[in-house]
Amino acid sequence: MSSKKPCTPPDSDGVPNKTRRDFLKKSSFLTAAAFVPVTVVNAAVNQWDEKLASVFEKTSLHLEVNGVPLNLSVEPRTTLLDLLREQLNLTGTKKGCDRGQCGACTVHADGLRINSCLSLAVTNEGKKITTIEGLSKGQELHPMQEAFIKHDGFQCGYCTPGQIMSAVALIKEGHAGSEMEIREFMSGNICRCGAYPNIVNAIQEVKKGGLS
Amino acid sequence: MNQFQYVRPAETSGAIKSVALDANAHFLAGGTNLVDLMKMGIVTPERLVDINNLPLKKIENIQGHLRIGALVTNTQVAENKFVKENFPLLSMAINAGASPQLRNMATTGGNLLQRTRCPYFFDTTMPCNKRVPGSGCGALEGYNRMHAIFGASDKCIAVNPSDMNVALTALNAFVHVSGPKAARTIPFADFHRLPGDHPEQDTTLQKNELITSIDIPTAPFSKNVHYLKVRDRSSYAFALVSAAVALHIENNTIKDVRLAMGGVAHKPWRLTATETFLKGKTVSEDTFKQAAQIAMEGAKAYEHNKFKLKLAPNTLIQALKTASGLTV
Amino acid sequence: MKKDAIGDSLSRVDGRLKVTGGAKYSGEFKITGLTYGVLVPATITNGTIASIDTKVAERAPGVIKVITYLNAAKVPGYQPNESKPASKGLKLFNDNKIYFNQQPIALVIADTFERATYAASLVTATYQKEPFKTNFQKNIDNSVVPQGGNYKDYIRGEADAYKNAPVKIEQAYLLPSEMHNPMELHVTTAFWNADGKLTVFTKSQGVISSQKALANAFKIEQSTVQINSRFVGGAFGSSLRTWPHEIAAAQAAKMINRPVRLTLTREQMFTLVGYRPQTIQKMGIGATPDGQLIGITHESHSQSAVYEEFTERSVNVSRFLYASPNANTRYKVVPLHVGVPAPMRGPGEATGAFALECALDELAYALNMDPIALRLKNYADADPEKNLPWSSKYLRECYQKGADKIGWEKRSSKPGTNREGDWLVGYGIGCGAFGAYRNKAQAYIKLLADGSVNIKSATSDIGPGTGTSMVLIAADILGIPAEKITFDLGDSSLPEAPTQGGSATVSSVGSAVHDVCLALKKKLNTLTGKPENNEDLDYVKILKQQNLPFIELTQGSEGTDEAKKYSMYSFSAHFVEVHVHALTGAWRIKKVVAVVDAGKIVNNKTASSQMIGGAVGGIGMAMTEEAIIDDRFGRLVNGNFADYHVPVNADIPQIEAIFINKPDMHINPLGTKGIGEISLIGVAPAIANAVYNATGKRIRELPITPDKLI
Repeated sequence: MSSKKPCTPPDSDGVPNKTRRDFLKKSSFLTAAAFVPVTVVNAAVNQWDEKLASVFEKTSLHLEVNGVPLNLSVEPRTTLLDLLREQLNLTGTKKGCDRGQCGACTVHADGLRINSCLSLAVTNEGKKITTIEGLSKGQELHPMQEAFIKHDGFQCGYCTPGQIMSAVALIKEGHAGSEMEIREFMSGNICRCGAYPNIVNAIQEVKKGGLS
Repeated sequence: MNQFQYVRPAETSGAIKSVALDANAHFLAGGTNLVDLMKMGIVTPERLVDINNLPLKKIENIQGHLRIGALVTNTQVAENKFVKENFPLLSMAINAGASPQLRNMATTGGNLLQRTRCPYFFDTTMPCNKRVPGSGCGALEGYNRMHAIFGASDKCIAVNPSDMNVALTALNAFVHVSGPKAARTIPFADFHRLPGDHPEQDTTLQKNELITSIDIPTAPFSKNVHYLKVRDRSSYAFALVSAAVALHIENNTIKDVRLAMGGVAHKPWRLTATETFLKGKTVSEDTFKQAAQIAMEGAKAYEHNKFKLKLAPNTLIQALKTASGLTV
Repeated sequence: MKKDAIGDSLSRVDGRLKVTGGAKYSGEFKITGLTYGVLVPATITNGTIASIDTKVAERAPGVIKVITYLNAAKVPGYQPNESKPASKGLKLFNDNKIYFNQQPIALVIADTFERATYAASLVTATYQKEPFKTNFQKNIDNSVVPQGGNYKDYIRGEADAYKNAPVKIEQAYLLPSEMHNPMELHVTTAFWNADGKLTVFTKSQGVISSQKALANAFKIEQSTVQINSRFVGGAFGSSLRTWPHEIAAAQAAKMINRPVRLTLTREQMFTLVGYRPQTIQKMGIGATPDGQLIGITHESHSQSAVYEEFTERSVNVSRFLYASPNANTRYKVVPLHVGVPAPMRGPGEATGAFALECALDELAYALNMDPIALRLKNYADADPEKNLPWSSKYLRECYQKGADKIGWEKRSSKPGTNREGDWLVGYGIGCGAFGAYRNKAQAYIKLLADGSVNIKSATSDIGPGTGTSMVLIAADILGIPAEKITFDLGDSSLPEAPTQGGSATVSSVGSAVHDVCLALKKKLNTLTGKPENNEDLDYVKILKQQNLPFIELTQGSEGTDEAKKYSMYSFSAHFVEVHVHALTGAWRIKKVVAVVDAGKIVNNKTASSQMIGGAVGGIGMAMTEEAIIDDRFGRLVNGNFADYHVPVNADIPQIEAIFINKPDMHINPLGTKGIGEISLIGVAPAIANAVYNATGKRIRELPITPDKLI
């Protein structure tokens, strides 16, 4: 049983602290492109200042989520989905596959539906993001939310936020013209409970009502 | 996913310079493929050069060509009025791929560079010459149901997964690229490679080169076209086989024709011999059956994809029938 | 004052939470000091870990702990002692043995998800490899009869009597492994309080059973374990049991003394949380020339794991669904180096119905007889297996209604002859049965001064709408509007209820709610000196008169010995119209009619949805789903949502759910029989039979992908 002491200094047992050092070394190449002063980079490379290093590992990000402007600092590898769920506590957007294969993470970026699991958060600089939490007006549900309840367009509810975000966008896109078209253009949102026919009915009602 | 540097240049030249600074840097556009590959540990860049701020987002008509900027999204191309009217085949092919969400993110340039979906490529514990040259081909004697029947090598039998590429091949597109050296233009048929001894190279794009736009020459294919994709479910699945058909028909005679297939080769598979055969022929099911036979010359199947030897010609016949109006 | 609320169409009581993103699932609670756990999978299929290197991972930024068998705190319940040998089953980080590829070898814990995920990729191991078996069909000869009396050979009359029948069918049917794949990833968040109490948020179909399992693992009092699982993002059987990684999350939380959230990746869901096992079924079925069954033989081989045996009732349906004088069944399992299966919606009954109902269809063609007529000819008026009357059976009505709705008269009796352009059109029927069960359950009720009512029971809602049904039942018995009633579930501190499985929740928990409401009325009548059965109660007035702020009570409920006198089943008949493209093999399910005899229906709206959902699951089973292992490596080649195809919206037509809706009062006071499983059982054979009717191609290996139809 070997228990690791948390405060072991780097390289003490001959194992290079590969991940951070290699990464930070690369930062010296960064001068051509970015805004980080060379002195900061060197400090980080030499691991004298962990705090500085972790600041360095993050990038500033300005975006608007559900109408709220945010100034954030995120790791470039953080996806928009994980930013929403883990850092902004907006857990209405769901993780079902994390690879763009199910649609549970669908949000609107500048009005377009996207898979937030494949969108690095930093690439959304300046964008307006809308999640399921931002769809209703206060206590008043969006017509699509009402229609999903009325037509029982869900069972377990896990894919539901993604379905609704997709459905709202679908009508705006003009692809809710027929039942067949709705089915095709809703096929990026998997529902394992099998609520598809009810989802289609909900969308058709909203479309007919001219509500979106 | 490993940590990486992230930069977002505003100019194409700056982006190319930036990516050239590091042997392990990658351009990032829509991210629908690259971010997935990074999550799976298949691509581990030390720097990402986000090109989304580059001015490559226009669709324009230039001297008999339709020019589509590399950053125009798949949705923007598919929904573009001019594209829908003049190159409906392209719209159809794009809409046959992925999902609306992914098409809103994926870009034209990125789609050209989409990596194969071969399971051995995606599993870093398995052999794959495309991922790790020299490690062997897991698919050759493995699960090869989705794999190539044309142009494969004993190093790689993977297929190109894109639908858009199949249509662009048929439409004789050109790819404009910029790089550290002079900008150049690559005919679409020469852009993607056959695997040969170097399956790690999907395309003829050189290191640090960036796709800036594609051109589609004007062509009389606004009416008798069809993109038929056969897959394991009705949507949101990669092709078992697909066929892109563009016909120019006058008085029931085929004046001009372009044919390509997807899901059958390491690159979008253009059927030039079949095109030659069909030119001048009268539209008929028999003619299409003969054409499909010609299309299949040189096909070779593996243990699990023998069905493609029948599915491919059948798909082509059906696409020809639909495009020509023989069946609706 | 009974309200007749049962049978209404009530929208889900938690609908608003689900459409606004307000419903919190197990991985979505904000917890101070939370850490993130990521599992590291083995890359071999059988053998032992020779060495494991965690040093690089431990140095990665943000990493708090890397747990392997070398440093893991021992889970007390895993350790054998003098009185108890080591139990079967996978025990994570307990020793260095590897039983299947992608079995977890380490758990990396870090302060963020990204850091934990990356650090997990830095753990490396060397192995002592041993030969392995993952190929099911090649290892059929290694099959074993499962332990336990339920799986012995069954013989009624003469064994293999079909062989001497004038008309007979002898065929084998192969079902590949299918993954539950609920949309929510399996996730467990665990933390220990200073007083030694363990709190776990986990994806569970049974909070009491999870509570017991974790208490057993850590050898602590059941009452010191708190399980929360109010919202479950689908499960379909994959959360019926407590999995080793759930115990590992609690183990890790104890080791680092911080909350740990362990989320499986979608890829890990393909090996760690069960699946419907690959099964090959040999059917022999024989009849007289006029269609009277002479004998049915049903022999099943099913995939299992080397480290734990899994069994299910795939052959049982052939013993009782039709009135055959002779019937015999055999059941064996094939232990392989794979993760252990788990019951998946409709479990063995769906597997068995696929073989039986396809074989019966083949027999109908061999007899030149309509498949419905053949079923009617051999209709079982009593249970031929148990020799008992049915508690209720309206399968005849199911045939009739389904045939009408699908347009059975349009079916051509000659396969491949009904054509619409390039599309071949076919119709098929598939039937099934699933036991109607009732288990012990308790419910608590509280009536408040304002006339509102709160009911609690430690049941679950994995999607059927448990709370909504319970509210309707209470509204019905109490005679008050549904809006005045709330129902709490998914919390192990509530009165005990069984795990949500086997289609028995309404029967069990609904009965408890029924009984507790009656008990409340009785208590109020006693208080006011009225006769026990007085229905004229003004709740607000009574509490005011009695000067009570509220009144509460808990009531247990369980079945009677009726089950010994009757054979109890739900029955279904599924009808399908399918179109297959003559050239490309592309298919379109055009219409599905699902007719079910499931007793009384409590909430028409959610029950219809459940029937539709089961049909969609059956479409996946028939047409798209198949987990594929490369036997050279013992690894899945399509273990993800892009390559393992569950149906998408474009695959699914409008589906009509029809309920016979006749109460069966032998099972429970509500008259319900259960619909969760029966909604899926019989769908796959209905489709396979329709495909044959359309194309003349009899596909006996699911899924029926386009390549099999050209």
